[in-house]
Amino acid sequence: MEQNKNPLSPHLQIYKLHISSLLSISHRIVGVINFFAISFICFWILSLLLGEDNYELTKLFMSSPIGKFLIIFLCWTFSFHILNEIRHLIWDVGYGFDLKVAKISGIIVLIGSFVLTIFFYLMGKNFI
Amino acid sequence: MVQFTLPQNSKIEVGEYFKDKTKSKNLRKINVYRWDPSDNKNPRIDTFEVDMNNCGPKVLDILFKIKNEIDPSLTFRRSCAHGVCGSCAMNIDGVNNLACIKSHEDINGDLNIYPLPHLKVIKDLIGDLSTLYKQYESIQPWLKVGQTGKEKEEIKQSQKDREKLDGYYECILCACCSTSCPSYWWNGDKYLGPAVLLQAYRWINDSRDNDKKERLKKVADELKLYRCHTIMNCTNSCPKGLNPAKAIGSIKKMLATS
Repeated sequence: MEQNKNPLSPHLQIYKLHISSLLSISHRIVGVINFFAISFICFWILSLLLGEDNYELTKLFMSSPIGKFLIIFLCWTFSFHILNEIRHLIWDVGYGFDLKVAKISGIIVLIGSFVLTIFFYLMGKNFI
Repeated sequence: MVQFTLPQNSKIEVGEYFKDKTKSKNLRKINVYRWDPSDNKNPRIDTFEVDMNNCGPKVLDILFKIKNEIDPSLTFRRSCAHGVCGSCAMNIDGVNNLACIKSHEDINGDLNIYPLPHLKVIKDLIGDLSTLYKQYESIQPWLKVGQTGKEKEEIKQSQKDREKLDGYYECILCACCSTSCPSYWWNGDKYLGPAVLLQAYRWINDSRDNDKKERLKKVADELKLYRCHTIMNCTNSCPKGLNPAKAIGSIKKMLATS
């Protein structure tokens, strides 16, 4: 049969999103964001070597509304990634594959990530 | 390879609208993916108005009603109509399922029916599963015993060992799981996919089989096995209620601990 002529049936366009697939793709996206975030933090710390001005510049950016939003957002990406990674580790040990359990653990991760975000933010705010 | 959009010849167009002729008051719109290899057109979505007062309870009944009463050219696979053969696997309302056991009353609004995702379409709702069958062949889905031909002895299996196959031997290879898996969409030529890996696990786990080590070795591959990222679309879609994600997880665990 001539295969090239045949169309490809629709996939992403029609497939319904489940909580498990939603968390899986967010895990990836958030992982990429965290990679850049960690690099950014490293550069920030490196900039300390270059003197106070550079530090002040970053601090100024961080205390602007966009900077604050970024900090809270990164708090969330880190907490989400950590919690979902724990979920993946439990899977690797061989537990939690049951459909119901996977759904519940997914919801726990999602809610937990927001709780952790608030916790991180408050903790940071009180210390700094 | 990851490709989010459909190729040019697969873009879906609006098709025909078949208005109801029975004057029934209980109508339902059914949107069905159509593609005819004999003309050179793109696939289209035909909409059928179906009289639900005189229709069976399952999605397959609707398809039969359309084929018998409205458009006889509608093409789909089916055989047993009892969820045993796996022929009528298709994408119903965004999730892969068997048309013969999916009740249309469970779905609200218009009913959308597509072929299994990310396959070459042969006609209408029929996808080309030959890659999957080749991959199934590659895991050698038969019992391999150490016996030579002469000593044909019965190989006994304890009840406990037999129970290890529960949840795996029931697979009917309808391909609902494999074609629901995004990893399989992007790497279907190399990644074995949930259906085949579940079968692989079924043979690895069989106490009568003598080839466990070889089987594990064969499947332990970056692309063949580890493209599974536990997205769990497979388990969500399995019409028989099996758990391919768990089977794949078990293979990974076996490899990590052996």
